[in-house]
Amino acid sequence: MSESSDDRKWLDAHFDPVAGLYTFSSCLDLAELSGDGESQLVVGDLGSGSSGMKLKVYRGTALVSESSLLDLPAGLVAFFMDLHEPRIPAVAVASGPCVYVYKNLRPYFKFTLPGLEVNTLEQDVWQQAREGQIDPLTLKEMLEGIRKKADVPLSFCSLQFLSLDASDMDEFVQLHKQQPIRRQTVITCIGTLKKSTADEDGVSCLVIGTESSDIFVLDPEAFIILAKMSLPATPTMMDVTGQFDVEFRIMVACRDGNIYILRRESDKPKYCIELTSHPVGLVRVGKSVVVGCTDESLQGFTQKGKKLWRIVLPAPITTMASMDLPSRGFQAVLVGLANCEVQLYRDKNLLSTIKTPDVVSSICFGRYGREDGTLIMTTKGGGLMVKILKRTAAFEDRDSAPGPPLAQSIRLNVPKKTKLYVDQTLRERENGLAMHRAFQMDLSRLRLAAAKTYVKALESSLTPVSSSLSEPLKMNAVVQGLGPSFKLTLNIQNTATCRPVMNLAISFLYDESLYQMRSPYMRIPLLVPGLIYPVETFVECTSDKGISDIIKVFVLHEGRNCPLLTAHINMPVSEGLKLH
Amino acid sequence: MGLFDKLAGWLGLKKEVNVLCLGLDNSGKTTIINQLKPSNAQAQDIVPTIGFSIEKFKTSSLSFTVFDMSGQGRYRNLWEHYYKEGQAIIFVIDSADKLRMVVAKEELDTLLNHHDIKHRRIPILFFANKMDVRDALSSVKVSQLLCLENIKDKPWHICATDALKGEGLQEGVDWLQDQIKTMRT
Ligand SMILES: Nc1nc2c(ncn2[C@@H]2O[C@H](COP(=O)(O)OP(=O)(O)OP(=O)(O)O)[C@@H](O)[C@H]2O)c(=O)[nH]1
Ligand SMILES: [Mg+2]
Repeated sequence: MSESSDDRKWLDAHFDPVAGLYTFSSCLDLAELSGDGESQLVVGDLGSGSSGMKLKVYRGTALVSESSLLDLPAGLVAFFMDLHEPRIPAVAVASGPCVYVYKNLRPYFKFTLPGLEVNTLEQDVWQQAREGQIDPLTLKEMLEGIRKKADVPLSFCSLQFLSLDASDMDEFVQLHKQQPIRRQTVITCIGTLKKSTADEDGVSCLVIGTESSDIFVLDPEAFIILAKMSLPATPTMMDVTGQFDVEFRIMVACRDGNIYILRRESDKPKYCIELTSHPVGLVRVGKSVVVGCTDESLQGFTQKGKKLWRIVLPAPITTMASMDLPSRGFQAVLVGLANCEVQLYRDKNLLSTIKTPDVVSSICFGRYGREDGTLIMTTKGGGLMVKILKRTAAFEDRDSAPGPPLAQSIRLNVPKKTKLYVDQTLRERENGLAMHRAFQMDLSRLRLAAAKTYVKALESSLTPVSSSLSEPLKMNAVVQGLGPSFKLTLNIQNTATCRPVMNLAISFLYDESLYQMRSPYMRIPLLVPGLIYPVETFVECTSDKGISDIIKVFVLHEGRNCPLLTAHINMPVSEGLKLH
Repeated sequence: MGLFDKLAGWLGLKKEVNVLCLGLDNSGKTTIINQLKPSNAQAQDIVPTIGFSIEKFKTSSLSFTVFDMSGQGRYRNLWEHYYKEGQAIIFVIDSADKLRMVVAKEELDTLLNHHDIKHRRIPILFFANKMDVRDALSSVKVSQLLCLENIKDKPWHICATDALKGEGLQEGVDWLQDQIKTMRT
C-alpha cells in the first residue's frame, strides 16, 4: 500500500548499484563547490576500511573529482571559513587526530589535536630501553605493570608494542626507541557551528568530538581552539545549533548510552538524556531531537531532554538523517532500516516508506544539482541512489502509532464564550473558597435531613420492611382491577430464620368518603418463616369524580400501639362506575 | 497557404500566435527566445526569469507572442493558467542535466495530462538544448528518456540546439510555423 503511494512521491533520478561508495551519513555533505548554483555531493569514502580511502565529489550523475585520504574519515563537513567572494565553501575531513581542510578541493590546511598527558613512568621505562639498560622482554613486563595500575593510560606506541609477538619486539624497539613518547587522541565526530551570524553562508567554526571525551570548537580561519568542553564519555554523534558568539547548543550522543546537551555558558553538560539502549542516530527537528536506538526504537525528546514519545521500528536502524525542506516548511526524519527500507517520520508518525534494493548505509537530504528536495542514499554494497521529491508530493500525517485517535485533534466548533460564562468563571475564580464552603455546608445539611427522615421512618415504621428484631417482616401490596371494585392483596413474609410470628393484625386507614372496604381490620394467622402469606381484601371506590387517594396499611401487634409496618398504597383512578 | 494568408502576407499583416515556452529552470528558455528576437531587440544579460515574461518575434508569415515561463519549482504551478491561451508549446530541455531528466519528464507528463491540453491537437516543439556541453545527451536519447514516442495525438518535433550560438533553433521554428499553418487551413 505504502509502496505504490511512495512511487508517486519520489522520482528515481539516478541509481548506480556499483558506484563503489562505502560510507556513512557522517561522511556525506552537499555543497555548492563550483559557485554556479549547482550543488555537489562530497563523500568521504571509507574504501575497504584499510585502504582505498578517498574524497569523492559527484556532480549530477557523474563522479567529477577523486583524491586519496591518508586515514579513515570519521566525518566530513562543508563550511564557509572566510568571507571571500565567490562564496565557495571549504571541505573539512576528520580522520585520526587531524582535520584536513580542502579549499577548491585542494589540501589547504591540516589541524592536529593537541597531545595528551603522557605517563611519566612509561617515559622513564622507554628512556631505559633507549639507553640499553633493559631488554624488550623486561620493557614489556614493566609496561604491563604500568598499564594495570596507572591512571594515565599508555601511549598508542606502547600498546602496539604490548600486542606484539616476542619475535617482533626487538625490531619494534629499534624502530621506535628514538621517537618521543606521545599520546594522541582521535576525532570521533565533527560538526559546524556558525560563528556570529545565522546566515546560510555565514562563517562557521568546526566542532570536533574526540575519543578523550572532549569537544573542541575551532576558529574557522586561524584553526585555534576557541572553546573546550568535557563530557563524561566519548562522543559518537552530535548536532550543533546556534552561533558561537551568541548562543549555541550541542547535543552529543555518547558511548555510555547517554545524550548530553552542552550550552554556551558552561563547559560541562547542562542536561542529560539517559537512554535504555545505545543511540545509533541523532537528528534534530526544530526544537526537538529524535534519537534512534539499538533496541529498534525511535524516541523524541525536547531540547531540555524531556521524553516526548517512543515508537518501535520494524527493523534495526542502519542510519538516520534529517529531511528539511524550508521552501515547503517541511521537516521530518529519515530512518534507514536493515530490512531494505527507508522510513520517513514526522514526530512519531510514519509518513512514507521507500523500499531500496539493498540496505542503505548513509542518507543525505538537501539541495543537489538544482533540486532542493533530493534524497541521496548509498547502500551497503556500495551503490549510489538519487531520488527527487516531486513538486506535487504531499505527506499526510496518518497516525500509525497507537495513541489518541486523530479525531481527538480535530477542533470542534465551540461557540464563543458568552458574557455570562465569563462572569461566572470570574465569580468562581474569586469566590472559590466561599463557594466550596457553602457547598459543603449544604451537603452536610442534606445528609442530616436524609438521616433525620430515615430515623423518623424507622421510628414510625413507615417502611415496608420491619426492622424490629422480634418480628422481622416484609410486605408488599398489589392492587388489581379497573374499578370501582379493586382487589387488594398484601403479601406478608416473615423474614426470620426460624421463629414464627403470632398475634398480628392488619388495619387500614382511608378516606371514608371515597372508599369503602369490606374488612378494614383483619387478623393474620401465625407466620411461618420464609413463606409468603397473601392477605386479600376488596375495596370499593364510591366516588364518580375520577379521583384517587392513598390507603394506608398498618401491620399491628396485638397489645402494642405502635405499628410494626406501614405501607402507603397509591390507589389507581377508578375507570368504571358503580352499578346501582 | 490560403488566399487570406497570402494576402495578409503581401500586406505585411501577420497571423498572431500565442506560444508557451516551458521547461525546467536553467534549461535555456529565455536564451532561446532572446536568440529568436531581431538582433536589435536582444538582451545582453540573461537572468533567471521570475514568474514569466512576454516576448514577441516574427517569422516569415507569423507573429509570435511567447509566454516565457519561469522554470523554477515554485513558479511551475503558474504554467497551467496559460494552457488555454497557448496555441503551440515550446518545451526546452537541458540535455546536459541528466539528473533532472526525470523531473522534466514528470513536468511534461503533467502538462500532457492537463485537461486544457489533453484533448487538443496542439503542436509541441522540443528543444534538446545545450548540445554544445560535453557529455550532453543526444536528441534521440532525450526523446527516449522523455518517452516522446508515446505522444500520439499531437504533432511534435525535437531538435538539438545550442542557444548560445543559435544553432538548431531555425529548424524548430520552421517546423512550428508549418504546423500552425496546416492547423489553420
Ligand atoms: N552551454 C550552453 N549554455 C546555455 C545554453 N542555453 C542557455 N545556456 C545557459 O543556461 C543558463 C540558463 O539560461 P536561461 O535562458 O536563463 O534559462 P531559463 O530556462 O530561462 O531559466 P528560468 O528562467 O530560470 O526558467 C544561462 O547561463 C545560459 O547562458 C546552451 O545552449 N548551451
Ligand atoms: Mg528564463
